[in-house]
Amino acid sequence: MDLLQNTVSSFIALVPVTLAQSLILAFVVLGIMIPFRMLSFPDLTSEGAFPLGGCVCGVLMAAGMSPLAAILIALLAGFVAGCCTAFIHLRFRIHTLLAGILMMTMLYSINLRIMGRSNLSVFGSTTIFDWVPFLQPGFPASKIVMAGAFGLLVFALLLHYFRTEKGTAVRAVGANPDMAEAQGINVWLATIGGVGLAGAFSAAGGALMVQSQGFADVNMGLGILINGLAALMIGEAIVGKSSVPRQLAAPFVGAIVYYQLVSFCLAAGMPPPDLKLATGLFVLAMLALPSLKRSRGPAAARETIRE
Amino acid sequence: MLEIRSARKMFYKGQADEKTALNDLSLRLETGDFGVVIGSNGAGKSSMLNAISGALVLDSGKVLINGDDVTAMPVHKRAMRLARVFQDPMKGTAASMTVAENMLLAELRAARRTLRRGLNPTRLAAYKERLSLLGLGLENRLDTRVELLSGGQRQSLSLIMAVGGSPELLLLDEHTAALDPRTADIVMQATIRAVEALKLTTLMVTHNMQHAVDFGNRVIMLDAGRVRLEIAGREKAAITVPDLIGHFSVKTDRMFLAS
Repeated sequence: MDLLQNTVSSFIALVPVTLAQSLILAFVVLGIMIPFRMLSFPDLTSEGAFPLGGCVCGVLMAAGMSPLAAILIALLAGFVAGCCTAFIHLRFRIHTLLAGILMMTMLYSINLRIMGRSNLSVFGSTTIFDWVPFLQPGFPASKIVMAGAFGLLVFALLLHYFRTEKGTAVRAVGANPDMAEAQGINVWLATIGGVGLAGAFSAAGGALMVQSQGFADVNMGLGILINGLAALMIGEAIVGKSSVPRQLAAPFVGAIVYYQLVSFCLAAGMPPPDLKLATGLFVLAMLALPSLKRSRGPAAARETIRE
Repeated sequence: MLEIRSARKMFYKGQADEKTALNDLSLRLETGDFGVVIGSNGAGKSSMLNAISGALVLDSGKVLINGDDVTAMPVHKRAMRLARVFQDPMKGTAASMTVAENMLLAELRAARRTLRRGLNPTRLAAYKERLSLLGLGLENRLDTRVELLSGGQRQSLSLIMAVGGSPELLLLDEHTAALDPRTADIVMQATIRAVEALKLTTLMVTHNMQHAVDFGNRVIMLDAGRVRLEIAGREKAAITVPDLIGHFSVKTDRMFLAS
């Protein structure tokens, strides 16, 4: 009883901090979802684009640049990284996953080069979270408001975009690339743009994270992909993925729920080193579920994935 | 008008399994012509269609549509001028998208896509009307994902999508071969109605000799990557299935003699 009470009270104390963190990391989940679901392009770039955004943002802030400008430039860097992954896949016919691994490995060196060392403190620099009116800077409330507002804006923009003529064409590339091409859609442009956009969101997540925690670290992306995937799976299990609004809401809902779950597990005394194993097993279970439901024999490929 | 000039394509060039797909193939289809392409497996029918649509890059030769050289154009650029219905109903539609969204993609085939909302009430009403012509009830299923439709419904949708916007050239790649006889008949009738109503220049590949006899004003028989026989005009109108099969067997006999 005592243990339960301790767990619950320490969990509740962490809810606001975790919420702020999850709203920031929702951008990474978005950066994983867009290639995976909208373009049938499973992509690992975010593991490199997230710290890339963080490093770029950190260096620029340390140099005295405005926090918003630093985020925008980080976003641009992530966009370029995503474009590179898509280009490697399209031009050299390398599997999307391998293209992503190549990109994230190379990005590690690039990130180190950008910062010049493995971590960089930006503590004391002005962040966009300081701009929230009526709230004390540095507290989770200001982060929740700022990251939440950003998230809502991005959600609304994407929702509109994927229903426009251009956005419908981009979705067609994910649904059936051959058909899309036969309908006059430039598959290269849509893929490079889409994966680039995803890289930009991952990098934006990294930049926001650096401003939130006050330092940048080249290793900050370690394991972010599997966390993001787990969050996406949870989100899709809760809101579904049958329509564009649902599919777009899944990353946000998933991130919020997933990080609260993690926080609860930690509050309940789970050793932090075991977290990756638990997350991995959870993602595996979510991905394996459809084939287990079919009881007999290996499942037919559920996802259409580009070779 | 479609014109193919001395198209050549060789697969696995210089290797042991080198194969000539198109061997100096030339073909001319006037505006409004309905050409039916027949030929045994490996005669080059699919290669020819792929060369026209841009999916196959020629070793040499030219493809012209209405007098414009499109040989160097990628598939998505040629799509502004031609539409294609594939043999496989899965190939011509986006399965995870709705019927209406697929119609939208087809409508925008030759247009500039904008940042305006794609599916507006005007468009939905137009799609409803066009789909109702099929008589398959698709007009009431605009919001259904295409993967939930039957093969016949999907192929009918592909057809409606292809003929919408009156393409300069319509390519039909054995588009009824994967369907049951009754559905194949429905799709074929719808094809003929659309082609005649819109006066589309059409090239149809088929293995069905009855279709080759019944439809079109020109029969083109391919063999070993080139046009072996072309029947048009009055001669085409008088041709029968045994006649066509006769042409096939002449070829087979010759192959026996050669080997």
